[in-house]
Amino acid sequence: MAAVSRSDTARATRIFILALLTVYVFFSLGPIFWLAISSLKGRADLFAMPPVWIFDIDTTGYESVFGVGAAAGTASAYGVTDALVNSVIVSSIGTLLAVLLGTLAGYVCSRHDFRGKGDFLFFVLSTRMLPPVAVLVFYHLMFARLGLTDTRFGLVLVAIFANVGLATWIMKGFFDGVPKEVEQIAQVNGYSRMYAFVYLVLPMVRGGIAATAGFCFIFAWNEFAFASILTTTDAKTLPVKISSASGATGIEWTQIMAAGVVLIIPVLIFFYLIRKHLLMGMTFGVLGRN
Amino acid sequence: MTTTTEPTPSQAAAMRHAKAKDRKKSSGRLMIFGFLSPTLIILLFMVAYPIISLISYSFYNFSALNPHEGYKWAGLDNYSYLLSDSALWKRFIFTGKFVFVCVSLQMLIGIFVGYQLQKAFRGRDVIFTMLMMPMMLSPVVVGFLWRYMLNSEWGVVNYLLSGVGITDVGWLSQTTPALFAAAAADTWMWTPFIILLATAAFRGIPDTIYEAAEVDGASPAYKFFRLTLPMSAPVLFIALILRLIDSFKQYDLFFALTGGGPGSSTETVSFAVAKLAFSYFYTGEASALAVILLFIIIGLSMILVRHLNKMGEKY
Repeated sequence: MAAVSRSDTARATRIFILALLTVYVFFSLGPIFWLAISSLKGRADLFAMPPVWIFDIDTTGYESVFGVGAAAGTASAYGVTDALVNSVIVSSIGTLLAVLLGTLAGYVCSRHDFRGKGDFLFFVLSTRMLPPVAVLVFYHLMFARLGLTDTRFGLVLVAIFANVGLATWIMKGFFDGVPKEVEQIAQVNGYSRMYAFVYLVLPMVRGGIAATAGFCFIFAWNEFAFASILTTTDAKTLPVKISSASGATGIEWTQIMAAGVVLIIPVLIFFYLIRKHLLMGMTFGVLGRN
Repeated sequence: MTTTTEPTPSQAAAMRHAKAKDRKKSSGRLMIFGFLSPTLIILLFMVAYPIISLISYSFYNFSALNPHEGYKWAGLDNYSYLLSDSALWKRFIFTGKFVFVCVSLQMLIGIFVGYQLQKAFRGRDVIFTMLMMPMMLSPVVVGFLWRYMLNSEWGVVNYLLSGVGITDVGWLSQTTPALFAAAAADTWMWTPFIILLATAAFRGIPDTIYEAAEVDGASPAYKFFRLTLPMSAPVLFIALILRLIDSFKQYDLFFALTGGGPGSSTETVSFAVAKLAFSYFYTGEASALAVILLFIIIGLSMILVRHLNKMGEKY
């Protein structure tokens, strides 16, 4: 008898745990699903109470996001195309340069001992902790003085600074995974350090560079605080553009939903490609080194 | 016969090695300098210089709006004004409450889900990857999405809650519900981070320890509380500190979700800095508040760094 009741409670516990897990999975994935279907709803269905699950697909949100179809040229056209172009340019160039600089710095930190290395790495790590508003107070003034306000160049600078630390730490981790013998053998055979780095070590961390770039791109692409303060019209990125749809006239939900989907699609693609390195990327390379 | 002047292959290698060693020092230093300086320069220019300026601004009374009116030395006035301002203390209290609610929810749920996800079952990797999605999304989109779902008239959350007898919660129009709404959105977004770190920590525990416990007839609860948790504590501690730092400086999410409202009841400290600096243009005061915020963040970071160093010694 006792044995039966024990296995009964064990089963009850298992079912309870399974139920809790199911609730969490719904909690976690439900909103993404809801965003996707809401972006395809017309105005009436979007605000229907009770919410509708089956509805006629209405693409006015997407049309006004890109300023095409019925929304072309109308006053209500939301027009995120410019913002999309800004986002692509700023995030790609920022990522490219941050990864380049981070790869160089990460390599030196992985291979060489020099005075102040610990301090340097801590300084780099501190950029991860820094509240954006703290430096923004100064950027706001400096950008105005240097004529960088509302320029893509200014935002690229921000994207480099915001991601170079991450790139340095992650790349250091990938370089740590390459045996030091590679350079030693190369040097014994008369090759220079530079040769060993470029032709032997770099090809071995190709995957790491790609993963680093994926993370930098996602973070640069999602960046909001800097872009919202340092742009006014021309250089607005997509997240800033989305937030500007909530204004005095209320919130344009059809457009926000569609623009939100447009914003997260590239993120999900990159996320899928770098999913194996998630631990490293999300902890600044502190954990999950290869 | 072999000549004695010709070095043997091993001697030749040794000589080349010695020559390489001579070159090593100077070329090594050049490489360190060349590879490090671009990063160092951009960080000095974009982090160190702004923070030094911020600290100096915090002692002046001036506004970015009227730079020609100049800087008036204010000493510690900005600080004493801020610290005696009860509205500002409310920002700290709100931020503290938000941090406490959302970080404890994330730790509890994250550790629970992470623990369950270490058991192998079909489709685990797919589910795990899908569960990681929210933390990669833009906080602005997350904020607006939750604002849409939490709307008291047509939001899907109130619709679902009415099914269990909770009706008409004005999530974003009342102070306390707005705190929980923000905590829910932040928890939705960042629990995956805890799951990620917790799973990694749990995987690092050797199976033999569990096997030994099983032989001794340990209960599942004993195994979890006495083996799993203590052994994964170092990694879970990193997760905790990182979440404390990030939720303490939270800005984007509130901007999109509540806009700081109702009133100014859901403004975090970061939000208050931004408002002081970019809406009221009290640049001196905003700088002083930013310095206070920085001190708190630096304090938390120091705990993290010390912990990481300790872990580094252990492994």
